[in-house]
Amino acid sequence: MSENYKFDTLSLHAGHIPDKETGSRAVPIYQTTSYVFNSTEEAASLYNMEVGGHLYTRISNPTVAALEQRLAALEGGASALACSSGMAAMHLVISAICSSGDHIVASSKMYGANINLLQHTMPRFGVNTDFVNPNDPEAIKKAIKPNTKLVFGEVIGNPGLDIMDVPETAKICNSENIPLVLDATFNTPYLMQPFKHGANIIVHSLTKWLGGHGIAIGGAIVNGGNFDWGDKDKFPTISGPHFALGGISFWEEFGPSALIAKIRAEGMYNFGPSLSPTNAFHLMQGIETLPLRMKKHIENTHSILDFLVNHEMVKWVKHPDLETHPDHEVAKRILPKGSGSIVAFGIKGGREAGKLFIESVQLASHLANVGDAKTLLIHPGSTTHSHLSSEAMKEGGLTDDMIRLSVGLEDINDIKKDFERGFKAVKKLNK
Amino acid sequence: MIINFKGAKTYIGTGGKSLDNTKKTFCFLHGAGQNHLSFIQQARFFAYKGYSVVVPDMPAHGFSDGNPCKSIKENAEWINDLLVELKLKNVIITGHSQGCLVALELNKIFKYPLEAIIFVAGSNEIPVNQFLLDLSKENPQKASQMMVIWGHGIDGDMSINKWPGHSHYGEGNNIMCMNQPTALNCDLNSCNDYSDGKDATKKIKVPTLAVLAKNDQMTPLKSGLKFVELMENCETHILDCGHFIPSERPLELNSIINSFLSKLE
Repeated sequence: MSENYKFDTLSLHAGHIPDKETGSRAVPIYQTTSYVFNSTEEAASLYNMEVGGHLYTRISNPTVAALEQRLAALEGGASALACSSGMAAMHLVISAICSSGDHIVASSKMYGANINLLQHTMPRFGVNTDFVNPNDPEAIKKAIKPNTKLVFGEVIGNPGLDIMDVPETAKICNSENIPLVLDATFNTPYLMQPFKHGANIIVHSLTKWLGGHGIAIGGAIVNGGNFDWGDKDKFPTISGPHFALGGISFWEEFGPSALIAKIRAEGMYNFGPSLSPTNAFHLMQGIETLPLRMKKHIENTHSILDFLVNHEMVKWVKHPDLETHPDHEVAKRILPKGSGSIVAFGIKGGREAGKLFIESVQLASHLANVGDAKTLLIHPGSTTHSHLSSEAMKEGGLTDDMIRLSVGLEDINDIKKDFERGFKAVKKLNK
Repeated sequence: MIINFKGAKTYIGTGGKSLDNTKKTFCFLHGAGQNHLSFIQQARFFAYKGYSVVVPDMPAHGFSDGNPCKSIKENAEWINDLLVELKLKNVIITGHSQGCLVALELNKIFKYPLEAIIFVAGSNEIPVNQFLLDLSKENPQKASQMMVIWGHGIDGDMSINKWPGHSHYGEGNNIMCMNQPTALNCDLNSCNDYSDGKDATKKIKVPTLAVLAKNDQMTPLKSGLKFVELMENCETHILDCGHFIPSERPLELNSIINSFLSKLE
């Protein structure tokens, strides 16, 4: 009897059924580079993409495939591909769709590496980007040109926490026949499934909440299968003839999974950003508890928001679940379970106070990551975004006194006590 | 390839190889609400094994324009005319689900004897419940989603796929969404209204192969087994999966077909 299993069940089971031979309940780690062919015909079938299967771990691997299929199930996508990092995922998508002379419209309020890739690296290869305010669908529409091949944004911006109005942006992209590509790292499919709001392609840094334990770097692309790539003039890399495989048209041969087939056949072959099977296993272990962790992340976040908003040493607090956040209404509409566990706040006393606070806390870790089970802190102005000018930082919604907090799963009272320690140190400085 | 056929844009998958009508040709007939993408892992496989392959998107399905055929007989006539147009003579028909009913009717009217007929998840009758018929008219997208869930076995539920990274449900839903909204209702009504299957089955004189599924909720195994009993010497295999055998058990299906064809050589 077929069932339509729910999210919590899929988090544990999707992508793997114990094999009859060993009965292994956990997904086995297939730590192998390659696979024995039963015949030359079988090998040819795999090389020609006649049937599915594994050739070489740079292209696919059974453990990695279990992760991919779990992600496709959780996002409601047609197919997924896991790779070495979130940045690799983003580059794979762009290079699969765009060629020299093409154009991208992207959010101006994104993770520094995303901006760097689009602003500095891709132009060297002839792909240029116009950056626009992600909260302004009209601005996105105006920025679209005849050679625009995709619109890119983050559902929850990093670190400014701007919320992209995904349904409105998707409507624009749909009317212009341009895929909407979203970085959904901060929301994870537990908080919001972008395909249900009209997005077409999702990229994830699995390193963050999906993995959740800060032990493995990984990325993924999930393909909604809901985009029509049939315009051969506009999307020749997907619907036109490929340089190999007898001039295959991925769109004709694979339909909803054309993008992933293209990336596997070209991006993974030619660039090689594969995910190790062991890391895929670690990341899947994390996904098994994603619903439980996200629930606690949100509970703790709401508790810490209350604490910070009412604290005398805090100048401002930014989180989309607060009514004071400019995108609060959009957040309520598209992220009803909560807008993630990243909080930005400014400490009284400016840059020096921010640095002292971070150096004074003991339980919260000062490091450049988010989405760990443990509480993390960083001062973007002196670390992740230090390469950006003050002007560029302001455009990204950043200030010198801003502390980015990734709320973990500890007992929230212990975190509050830890923060009090930091505030006490700052208070002394301010005196 | 795309041709203009009967005044409408018509897409015919050829498995990535050029169509050569001097070769033995596999003609794959998709099921209700499906299109050529039902046979992703058969079309290229057999094209690369030296056969010519045609996987037409029936009118209003996949990349084909036109109005959907309103009966199984109309579907069969359309396919018959297409095969004539393409000058194909040595044809192996492989039908999936509704495609099996179309194959039964095509066998009656095609002017050359078919080389063989392969029935995948088929029967001589496919009654459709009124709920699904109504839903396919009122909300074809919802009806498609339900068919995708009912149609797959546990591999669909658990996102297990021989093609790394692919999801049966996600892919299946989007394949069905590629069709014109009226296509599914026309197909389901065509299946439900078709009542000549028993007689048509008895008229088959060519080699036949039936590949049925143990957990088929669309054309139940019981119905499939009754169907094969109507044929003389129909080679029958039962696979442990749901209705969507071509994507759920692609390697096994291809191997069974290969073995069947080798016995005919």
